[in-house]
Amino acid sequence: MKVLFSQIKELVPELKADPKEIAEVLTYIGFMRDSISEVNYKGAKDHLISLEIRQNRPDCLAVIGIAREIAAYYKLKTIIPDLNKINYTERKINVDIEAKNEVRRVLAVEIINIKNQESPAWLKEFLSFYEINQVNLLVDLSNYVMILTGYPSHLLDGDLITGKIIWSINSQYNKISTLLGTEIELNQEGELLIQDESNVLALAGIVGAKKAEISRKTKNIFLELAVYDRAVVRRNSRSLNIVTDASNYLEKDLDPQGVDYAMSLLINLILEYCGGNINSSLFDFYLNKKILKPISMRLEAPSIFTGIEIPSNEVRDILKNLNFQVEEKNKEMILVTPPSYRTDISVEEDLVEEVARIYDYRKIPTNILPKLEVVANITPKNIILADELREFTTSLSFDEVLSLPLTGINKNKNAKYLDWNIVSTQNSVNENFPELRISMSIGLFSQYKEYIKKNLSLIEIFEIGKIFGEKEGKYVEQEMIGLLYSSLEDKINIFKARIEKILRYSGFNQIEFIKSDKAPRDANPNSCWWIHANGHNLGILYKYRPQEEKINVYFSEFNITQMTLLLPEIENNPVVEINNKLVSLDRNIELKKEDSIHDYLRVIKDKIKSEYTWSVNVIDVYEMVDIIRYTIRVVYMNLSDQEAKKIHSIVFDA
Amino acid sequence: MLEINIKKQLDELSVDLSNVGNLNDMSLIWRKYFGAKGLIKLSLKEIQGLSPEEKIKKAPIIQNIYQEALSLFKEKEDFFNEEKLINELKSQSEGLDFNLLKIGHLHPISKTIKEMNGHFTNMGFSIMDGPELETDEFCFQRLNVPLDHPARDMQDTLYVKEPNFLLRTQTSSIEARVLASYQPPFKVVSPGRVYRNEAVNKSNHFIFHHYQGLVVLNKVNLQDLFGTLNYLFKMMYGDDVVMRFRSKYYPEVEPGIGADMLCFKCLGEGCAVCKGVGWIEMGGAGIIHPNVMQEAGLDKNKWMGFAFGLGLDRWVMAKYKISDIRTLLGGNLGYKYYQNESII
Repeated sequence: MKVLFSQIKELVPELKADPKEIAEVLTYIGFMRDSISEVNYKGAKDHLISLEIRQNRPDCLAVIGIAREIAAYYKLKTIIPDLNKINYTERKINVDIEAKNEVRRVLAVEIINIKNQESPAWLKEFLSFYEINQVNLLVDLSNYVMILTGYPSHLLDGDLITGKIIWSINSQYNKISTLLGTEIELNQEGELLIQDESNVLALAGIVGAKKAEISRKTKNIFLELAVYDRAVVRRNSRSLNIVTDASNYLEKDLDPQGVDYAMSLLINLILEYCGGNINSSLFDFYLNKKILKPISMRLEAPSIFTGIEIPSNEVRDILKNLNFQVEEKNKEMILVTPPSYRTDISVEEDLVEEVARIYDYRKIPTNILPKLEVVANITPKNIILADELREFTTSLSFDEVLSLPLTGINKNKNAKYLDWNIVSTQNSVNENFPELRISMSIGLFSQYKEYIKKNLSLIEIFEIGKIFGEKEGKYVEQEMIGLLYSSLEDKINIFKARIEKILRYSGFNQIEFIKSDKAPRDANPNSCWWIHANGHNLGILYKYRPQEEKINVYFSEFNITQMTLLLPEIENNPVVEINNKLVSLDRNIELKKEDSIHDYLRVIKDKIKSEYTWSVNVIDVYEMVDIIRYTIRVVYMNLSDQEAKKIHSIVFDA
Repeated sequence: MLEINIKKQLDELSVDLSNVGNLNDMSLIWRKYFGAKGLIKLSLKEIQGLSPEEKIKKAPIIQNIYQEALSLFKEKEDFFNEEKLINELKSQSEGLDFNLLKIGHLHPISKTIKEMNGHFTNMGFSIMDGPELETDEFCFQRLNVPLDHPARDMQDTLYVKEPNFLLRTQTSSIEARVLASYQPPFKVVSPGRVYRNEAVNKSNHFIFHHYQGLVVLNKVNLQDLFGTLNYLFKMMYGDDVVMRFRSKYYPEVEPGIGADMLCFKCLGEGCAVCKGVGWIEMGGAGIIHPNVMQEAGLDKNKWMGFAFGLGLDRWVMAKYKISDIRTLLGGNLGYKYYQNESII
């Protein structure tokens, strides 16, 4: 949304702030400044401020709405110009609203003997700021009113209409030729149309039809302003793939009562610039009138929500300046009725936000570290295990990469070895990424290809991420670690030793590699093994089929989600607030290969009181002929350095 | 006479030793002078044939000459032993490989997540995760975004099976899952991958990362939220970082907040990095909307919460000065280990 500074000044005459300050204030109260530029308008220097409008504030997709916000912030009055009274005739207009559930309000009128012509310079200049093409005076005035009030209007050439005008749900038309020069296929699935007895005249709320288009020759017009069920406009706009200025406004929660002022303004401007006479009464369809309901609000609520004291009088004043009606309910409570255009306000929290943003968020201190209460640690085990695996795998000289979980059909087909069905997206980003990966191999192998271009022969990379599939009618998503290793020489056993190390580090002591009965297409079927740990199949290890570069490439992946279920030893670290001192101490121990490191760690943990233990972890593993040397790190809490050292010595030397 | 002979033998020994070239020839010298029939050894035996008076007079002199001869021999032998040892050490020596050892690196995104998680665990937060293949209920409906709500346009969704199964567009879905599954009080953060149907260019990707925060306690407020985010910004970017909090709309919170950082490149003047605004949008936040609390079955009179969602890729790019988001996923970060250590 763009707004000229001169227009804000016109609506808020007492405003003293300059354009830069206005842009900053608007940013803080919810409408972020995109840009501010100097322009010339009506022969004078002006500023055009471009703003990002909140999705829930359609009232501010209008110059008047922005002016009201500025006035509220500076505690000033917004002066909306008075309009000439319109003298409607007694003649009834021939309109029928069949789609009563989809139409919230329609105002319509006929004006005759109009002289349509080219727009004056100021209007052309104005529309150019909004990148709206100048068409003719009638159409341009309609667009002008839309920018000022936030309501799009629709004008039809009265001489090109046949009989009654009807708002209906489409049941007979297959296409519409639009004002934009396009032809749209209609699917007759709930499209809301404006039609006469012979033709479709508009896709209501979205775009008009060519049939009754306003031209420079137009003498008599049918003018309508409407508000629809926003979901209907949105649905039709999306399903027919047509987005216009009108649909952008009308798919939001517009206030049906706001059409009155917009209609009066447009008629006034048409009569002033094009001449003509009103030739009908005002048609007004408004079945379910909006009832403004007061909302109870605790006067202390803004203080509770912000954490700073906002005086009760300030609360009342801010709401009144925003044109809310405020009544006293009792000493602690007020009843607040928002103006009808504030369709975003329905609960106390909405009112709190109004008070807080106008009071100014800059008044809330940001440099105080919050004293939030201490709560239990609920970190799931798979996250702890994944973090540990990530650290340990890098210590084994693997580099972490992150690849795309979306992939191509062939890549998935060639990497598949699990008995899952492949999952696709219905609206894929493009033809290269229609499916969700079924193995980590795909991303790692793509990365390998990237690195090979850089003439690297030794590539050691890994990734922790999700793979996806469908099994027995349910979607499956599992967290995996995938590793890729390449070498000019045949080194599958070095790779296998690394995999074994990772699994041992994780807490598995019975690791087996069993010749696989089912290899993915990417794999050499003679060099493919299942990885079993503690009797469970956790993953796969294989050599890729021979590569062009004559490099040996190996891949392995195993299932972290499953590992988590098999490793009850992983424990959450207790919560420690930042003022607690932690002391880290290491110790090397040696165990026979068949001994369980986890049994050992359990003994160690049992020896240290839990209130002193932050964590006990293996941080390094070194394999020798018959024994394995582990470096264990104990992190103590609630102890001094000396006390921790003493306990450490007792625990390990005993 | 005996003295003269033995002195002569000493001189001969000295000459022979000076001509010896290796340790093997030393044994010949030993045999010639000090063996059972060696010249010096035989001269020593001649002491036995002297009269007692001569023995007292000459024996010490002859003994001294003998010791001198032994020392000469020993000195030469030590010299050759030393030389042998040096040669042996040389032949058994090993050299060091001075090529740089390859070490593994975490991806910048993981590294940043690790750092951020560290700051939050220090504040007593837990870390949570949730499904990437989500349902509409948890990605939208429980977060106050019903079907056909215009806020859905803020996120162009990738569907697996429309309308219910989709790829999560935001990590707020984890927030909805935590609210549905855990009894407060809790404080959690959730880093995660999100998907949107967007064109790929230098600053946008269809896959990126969010960092979600959720706190539900008996009492929280905006000051707590601002303090928490301010602490994080300062820990990540240093004390000089300048932040601002402004009103912004997100359906799942009320009041809603936009959190921005003063552009690190232009310091507010406006440049290409901040698209001329002077500030970089780092995330959104706010007090959890009562509708979201109600969906989770939580009594808003008993519990209050705040939530925030940060665009993690932007944090990583700002921290490691990476200008192209495509580099982060499947890009060429890894091969630059040594040239660009700061990137990894």
